Amino acid sequence: MNRVRVVEPDQRIPEVPEAIFLFRSCTGSMEYPGTENAIKEILKLLGIEVVMDPDQTCCSGYLLTCSGYLPEFSLGVTARNMSIIEKSGLPPYVFCNGCYGYLSELTHIMEHNPAYKDMANGLIGSLGYHYKGGNNIFHVQELYYRLKDEIAGKVVRPLNGLRVGCHYGCHYLANQYGILDDGGYPAFHEELIEALGGTPVFYKERQMCCGYSVGRGFTHKEELVQPHLYKKFKSAREAGVELITTVCPGCNVALDREQPALAKKGYEFDIPVIDMGQLIALALGVPVEKLGFGANTVSVDKVLKKLGVGKGD
Amino acid sequence: MVIFLPREKAGELVDGLYKKVDSYHLVENLESCLACGKCVGNCPVASLTPSYNPRQIIRDVLTGNMRRWLQSEEIWRCFWCAGCYTGCPVDIHYPMLVMQLRFRAIENQYGLKYFTPFKRFALRAREDALTFAPGAKGRERIMRLRTAMGVSPWPEVSEKAVAEYKALFDMTGTTEWLNAINDEDDKPVSLTYAAGRIKDEQS
Repeated sequence: MNRVRVVEPDQRIPEVPEAIFLFRSCTGSMEYPGTENAIKEILKLLGIEVVMDPDQTCCSGYLLTCSGYLPEFSLGVTARNMSIIEKSGLPPYVFCNGCYGYLSELTHIMEHNPAYKDMANGLIGSLGYHYKGGNNIFHVQELYYRLKDEIAGKVVRPLNGLRVGCHYGCHYLANQYGILDDGGYPAFHEELIEALGGTPVFYKERQMCCGYSVGRGFTHKEELVQPHLYKKFKSAREAGVELITTVCPGCNVALDREQPALAKKGYEFDIPVIDMGQLIALALGVPVEKLGFGANTVSVDKVLKKLGVGKGD
Repeated sequence: MVIFLPREKAGELVDGLYKKVDSYHLVENLESCLACGKCVGNCPVASLTPSYNPRQIIRDVLTGNMRRWLQSEEIWRCFWCAGCYTGCPVDIHYPMLVMQLRFRAIENQYGLKYFTPFKRFALRAREDALTFAPGAKGRERIMRLRTAMGVSPWPEVSEKAVAEYKALFDMTGTTEWLNAINDEDDKPVSLTYAAGRIKDEQS
């Protein structure tokens, strides 16, 4: 237990990479495709090349933790995806907390249980892959924070004090070791919001889980997920949050798609939820058509209006 | 009338239960649990379900009381947010325990109705190499959104990726395992733990 818990951004990413391997997120490319595109647009502006590989599959951690996959399968899939990343020679960046958590956890298991690594290599060996191991896995939020000053310098549409409540999601901070901030009380998203000219809001249930984790939205929606989200949104509204940002498309689904159901029960919050990348892209002047806000259930229009962003901007 | 305290009978306890539950060796430090209760304090589910108590479930696994958690609805409630793990002073990965408790429950056909949706999603993901790819109507919506942004209409997943994903499903026995689970065999579960705290009237 002598590993370092919190690392400085320039220790975590000593040198800003020229190119990254962007790990496709299922939800981030289908439910909210604007998430994936926003990252590509931001990194284009920052001069970082984005490489994606069509041979990469789902990280397959989510359904494992729902007990829907056997661990042997998810370990095999992780080893296969990691071997594709290793072959590219680029640092892997994910944009979903789920992918981050599951890839880190499953590679950690293989690092510390050679039998599991051998098992996984046995499986993927028959498909022509080999997983070496020892890789670092990054989340794009780490890159944003590392490049906070560069991003601040490129802002062309400042957020004009927009009151933004951040939602960190669980599976980045829950990793506990080698992360950018204190898992108990993080604040690096708020620093990013300030850099973009917004007003970060520390609402009471800021760190509360999105409630959709491991599919409880399918099994315990009425008795658990909705009262849970009610608490979260209530505290956000009381603190005057105008927009919630996430760094996980999965959290985005929970926080955005569930609001009409709460409204039907008489609890209308109407707080738009977008990805941190989409907000950064917006501040950096990326055309709004490139950010896919059409995918959102709760309309983002009032935020765009406040920022003075219209169609074609 | 004499009321006896509910007691566990030694004969009903399962010897070496902890090793049987943690068959994948993912939570090997469970015995170091200090019963400090930080897991319960950090748990969003416990705050809404007075009878959900990770500390008590850990105790039952360690003492061998299999019947109580196996037939409980509580084990199906965990969000896997890992708030318990973040707060744990001895780094017990409780979510990994829950995952394995659920595998044991599925083996014993308890609470299958909480598993059925994921069986469906998993078999669907086998065809796409993506999780939660929707049906025809949803696909159209995704393609419209992506096209409007000027990117490929569908996430670029190669045929090779899909074929190899499917192959891994079959090689690891996951397809067979999923197909063998029949939700008609479902044995009902109920809230079996005693409520430990006062329910918040507001929620």
